Amino acid sequence: MQIDAYDREYMCSGHVGCAGCGATIAMRLFMKAMGEKTIMVLPACCWSVIAGPYPQSAMKIPVIHTAFETGGATASGVRAALDMKGDTETSVVTWAGDGGTFDIGFQSLSGAVERNEDFIYVCYDNEAYMNTGIQRSSSTPYGAWTTTTPGQDWKRLRKKNIVEVLVAHRIPYVATANIAFPEDLIRKVQKAKSIKGSKFLHIFASCPTGWRIPSDMSVKIARMAVQTNIFPLYEVENGVHYTINNKPKEYLVREYFKLQGRFRHLTDKDLDQIQEMVNEDWGLLLKKAGERS
Amino acid sequence: MKRVLEGSHAVAEAVRLANVQVVSAYPITPQTHIVEIISDYCAKGKMNAKFIPVESEHSCLAALVGAQSAGVRTFTATSSQGLALMHEILHWVSAARLPIVMVDVNRALGPGWNIWTDQTDSLSQRDTGWIQLYCEDGQEVLDTTLQAFRLAERVNLPVMVVLDAFFLSHTYEPVDVPEQKEVDRFLPSYSPRFNLDTRNPYTLSPLVTPAFYMEMRHDMALAMDEAMTCFAEIEEEYAALFNRRYGSVEAVTCDDAEIILVTSGTITSTTRLLLEELRAKGEKVGLLKMKMFRPFPVEAVCRALGRAKKVAVIDRNFSFGAGGVFAQEIKAALYKLPVRPTVFGYIAGLGGRDVTTDVLEEIYIKTRETDLPSQESIWIGLQEVKYAN
Amino acid sequence: MNTATMNLRPLFMPRTHETTEGNKTGSWRYLRPRYEDKTSPCSAACPAGEDIARIEMLSAQGFFKEAWETILRENPLPGVCGRVCFHPCEGICNREGFDSSLAIHTIERHLADTAARNDLKPALEKLASQPQKIAIIGSGPAGLSAAWFFTMLGYACDIYEALSEAGGILRWGIPEYRLPAPVLRTEIGRIESQGIRIFTGKHISESELNKLRGNYSAVFMGCGYSRSTPLGVSGETSESVKDGLEFLRSVRQGEKPSCQGLSAVIGGGNTAVDVARTVIRLGGKAAILYRRRRQDMPAFAEEIAMAMEEGVALHELLAPGAIEAQGDQYKLILRKMKIEGQDKDGRGRIVPDGDKTSEVTVERIFTATGADVAEPWYNPPSDKSGAITLSHCQIKFDKGGIPLVYGGDLTNVTKNVTQAIASGKQAAMAIDTYFQQGRDAIESRLASCRVGDGLSLSMEVYMQGARRLRSSHIVQPEEINTDYFQFEARVVQPRLLVEERTGSFNEIDMRISANLAIREASRCFNCGLCNQCDNCYIFCPDVAVIRGRNMEDRHINFDYCKGCGLCAAECPRNAVTLEREGL
Repeated sequence: MQIDAYDREYMCSGHVGCAGCGATIAMRLFMKAMGEKTIMVLPACCWSVIAGPYPQSAMKIPVIHTAFETGGATASGVRAALDMKGDTETSVVTWAGDGGTFDIGFQSLSGAVERNEDFIYVCYDNEAYMNTGIQRSSSTPYGAWTTTTPGQDWKRLRKKNIVEVLVAHRIPYVATANIAFPEDLIRKVQKAKSIKGSKFLHIFASCPTGWRIPSDMSVKIARMAVQTNIFPLYEVENGVHYTINNKPKEYLVREYFKLQGRFRHLTDKDLDQIQEMVNEDWGLLLKKAGERS
Repeated sequence: MKRVLEGSHAVAEAVRLANVQVVSAYPITPQTHIVEIISDYCAKGKMNAKFIPVESEHSCLAALVGAQSAGVRTFTATSSQGLALMHEILHWVSAARLPIVMVDVNRALGPGWNIWTDQTDSLSQRDTGWIQLYCEDGQEVLDTTLQAFRLAERVNLPVMVVLDAFFLSHTYEPVDVPEQKEVDRFLPSYSPRFNLDTRNPYTLSPLVTPAFYMEMRHDMALAMDEAMTCFAEIEEEYAALFNRRYGSVEAVTCDDAEIILVTSGTITSTTRLLLEELRAKGEKVGLLKMKMFRPFPVEAVCRALGRAKKVAVIDRNFSFGAGGVFAQEIKAALYKLPVRPTVFGYIAGLGGRDVTTDVLEEIYIKTRETDLPSQESIWIGLQEVKYAN
Repeated sequence: MNTATMNLRPLFMPRTHETTEGNKTGSWRYLRPRYEDKTSPCSAACPAGEDIARIEMLSAQGFFKEAWETILRENPLPGVCGRVCFHPCEGICNREGFDSSLAIHTIERHLADTAARNDLKPALEKLASQPQKIAIIGSGPAGLSAAWFFTMLGYACDIYEALSEAGGILRWGIPEYRLPAPVLRTEIGRIESQGIRIFTGKHISESELNKLRGNYSAVFMGCGYSRSTPLGVSGETSESVKDGLEFLRSVRQGEKPSCQGLSAVIGGGNTAVDVARTVIRLGGKAAILYRRRRQDMPAFAEEIAMAMEEGVALHELLAPGAIEAQGDQYKLILRKMKIEGQDKDGRGRIVPDGDKTSEVTVERIFTATGADVAEPWYNPPSDKSGAITLSHCQIKFDKGGIPLVYGGDLTNVTKNVTQAIASGKQAAMAIDTYFQQGRDAIESRLASCRVGDGLSLSMEVYMQGARRLRSSHIVQPEEINTDYFQFEARVVQPRLLVEERTGSFNEIDMRISANLAIREASRCFNCGLCNQCDNCYIFCPDVAVIRGRNMEDRHINFDYCKGCGLCAAECPRNAVTLEREGL
């Protein structure tokens, strides 16, 4: 595919991400769109380790690692300092995992966007606490095995809809993105960069290790999440204006589930129920976008 | 210029004079006046700073981590529950070597909810790598806050300036507020030794393996030691400009004292009154005011207390399962002396209970009349409890 | 004393000062990717072994001249094949299972027509000049192809053509409406411009052939089949039954034989269909009588369909029985046939349906049931001792040791234009090997030039071109990652309406615009061939895919590649191979 002018790299080889890691693909593409005038706040997540141990860093921009729950707050501080220094060119970005966004970092995120701080908050979502060994988070989807939802105790709670939460804050821009759709991701990052105020990007980043898939399947699985309407690609501006970016051919969700070891225990009945849940959510989204199902 | 200010206002004035650029704040009684005044200054343009009204104390300090790392001078204030919530970030700030200055208004920790003064909140953070300086009056508050910025930026360790709730924060006293030009000569603008800059990018606070971690901690330890001498030098400079100094400790009539009372915070002022009375009666009594708690001024304490027969430490705090914190630290400091005084540890004034001259006199007499302390910690003024079941 | 100016002790704190590039994560790997171009099924199915995936890739990028040159390396007659080849490439195209196969022949014709219109001169590799001279008898597709390839290999060639104009079946057999003469002249002109001499109106007799052998180091016999086989029924005379091929030849020579009334055309191949459709255009009516069924006819299905649109009648399961003259007309008695079981070639076995017959009265009868040589000595001798038999030609050595190569329809199992071209290529390779390395090297040398697993040979590979590095694995449809393709309709090549067709000999299929050609070529999956789509580069989590300066080549940085396999999985066209590390 043609993505012009993105030949520069802001991420180095030699990082310690797993082979096939979706989070590293997400970071690489994201940074191609952001460019070098970026300061990144990095609360605890897989990337805290992927970025490399002292004295190494895999990032070519300034990065500040912070405590788990401080993604929104630390970025607010960085932004305030840059404003006081008269720097209008540098973008402030928080790069957090699902744990640090949906759970422990939720308050800090909500506080920062309520103040409409001028920064981009990116949640790369691998749907569990992967860095600490695949424990469940409120982002773990219905039906998944994790080390804290093992065996027959698989997660029978829906994934928290973080995008709708952020939409309710009425911030200028909220969007979902996916590593299997790089042009769409880059366009959304560029768009976010051009807007003043709080921007939230929810990037679907598959995890071969935690999802029990082969390392060469991470992009395909990510793509299937969109194609099955499990992870729709859409944008919301100012909390009211919905745009759905991709109307897939609506593959059956069981095609997505049966390829992943973390869903191996699900029966046909479970999958049918999940199909209904996905259809319902998709229908709700269409309604919000003013479209018919 | 001399003005009558409450302690909180003295803090705000110091923050204004220090040209702080980013302030984050979350309200908690009795810190609120500090942040309200600063917010007012920022809104009116008296202060050229960004005021971030964060959604919790944890975020409060985290925001300053971001701001200070980006290269500006920052400030915040908190108390009790808020300080406790910040605990994780307190460790973070010092190990990140960020020269953040924070005021803690000593307030009791709940439950039960108690907004009055108690030192347990700041002292239970003694291991976090923050320099801790305790203030007695409004003037000291202003002076110490200004010095704190110099000290923090000199050794790259954060400084906690501690005030008593209400007795200091909300008490009006005459305070000499220096002119901006004078303060600028003492405290130049912030020149960070490292900061987030796209022209010179690196990563702060990455993963550190056992191969390097100890050396980084050791560097902090060396900086903390340095802080002791730096503080003295900074006080000298300040004294040269403003003719005021306090010392890491202040020994009052300790040379020939047989019994020395050790206090901190506003209790010191009260003790000064008692000291006059007792000395007038011919008691060989002295007072050691503890200003610097971290780094703990071991040498100064040994010098002041070494020749006394008995030392009565008054702790407005308690470390459960051990004893009053100041008493513990003083005992440890005195341990190396071949001949050392007997240390009596007294617990008084918890949860804001008033420590009057009567209370202090009781402490003095108890110390004088017994050879050895009856208990590890002697709780003063306990009343009979009803309805305990 | 201003402590600010005192020397500060250096800070040892958690702050980085190196990149992770010192960490050679390549050591994690147990699978290793490799860029490996593979063979597309179309190129293996093409009798000329054209590098079709590459042709389409270049066309899609707008490099029409380069795409055209890619064809010429394997086939000197794209303008011809783009019109008359039976395109087995399209039949095996991997895109067929996705939406519809690629219109490869449409693009090939477009490239040839574009080159002709712009008078392009190809820049092709040629080997050093060789002392040997080659004589070629017959200027049909086999002879022209042989000359072309011999010339690429450095040999001087002379073609001897009996008729007044070169082209063989292309000029004198295939009707004008399928292959216009000007197109053919341009193609032949280009072949001549390589330095080949074509002597037209020069019929070579058997004795003249022996004289020729004295002047040349090898002779290629490409005389082809120019006589239709007789029906072999009673009442067959030169009056009652006309030679179908002879009829087509006379029309191509500009004659307009009378076709009034109904003509019966016996046969089921392309010649029969060509004869029938020519009759229509000359104002007559035509009926094809075939002893098997429509689906068994060797003629191209599309040709049959068009014939029937144009009004040609088709009568199945009828074999000629006898002919009775009836004044100006002829009564043709036909035996009805029926299907019983299957023949070895999979077609239904026909047996007479009892004694049933039918009759039809016609103005004339054409035979087009098969073809044969004009003179018996054209055929390769039946005594094969000392001969080399290859898939598309036979080489006989005379007592003087000069090789005499028989090719084209004379030797091919399947007799059509593209197979004839393949025959000429094979002959050139075989003789060149014979001259340079000796007879025993021929088989292995040719085997090393096979495209994929089929019989097609690549001259580019023979001449040590880049194509020799290609893996012979043929890309299967399931190896294509169709996530990167959208459904898109196949281009429709415009065609004359039926009324316009039957009234003249104008070319039926019309040209397409460059726009449409590029769009159609872009539909090509480019099976097995890297087309610089950069998926590997975009999706590598370890920034381990390095692009060359011109963005044309890519390679893996094995210091960091962890062997995740994403480059191979996301390559839409199986141009990346993943294998175990250490092999």
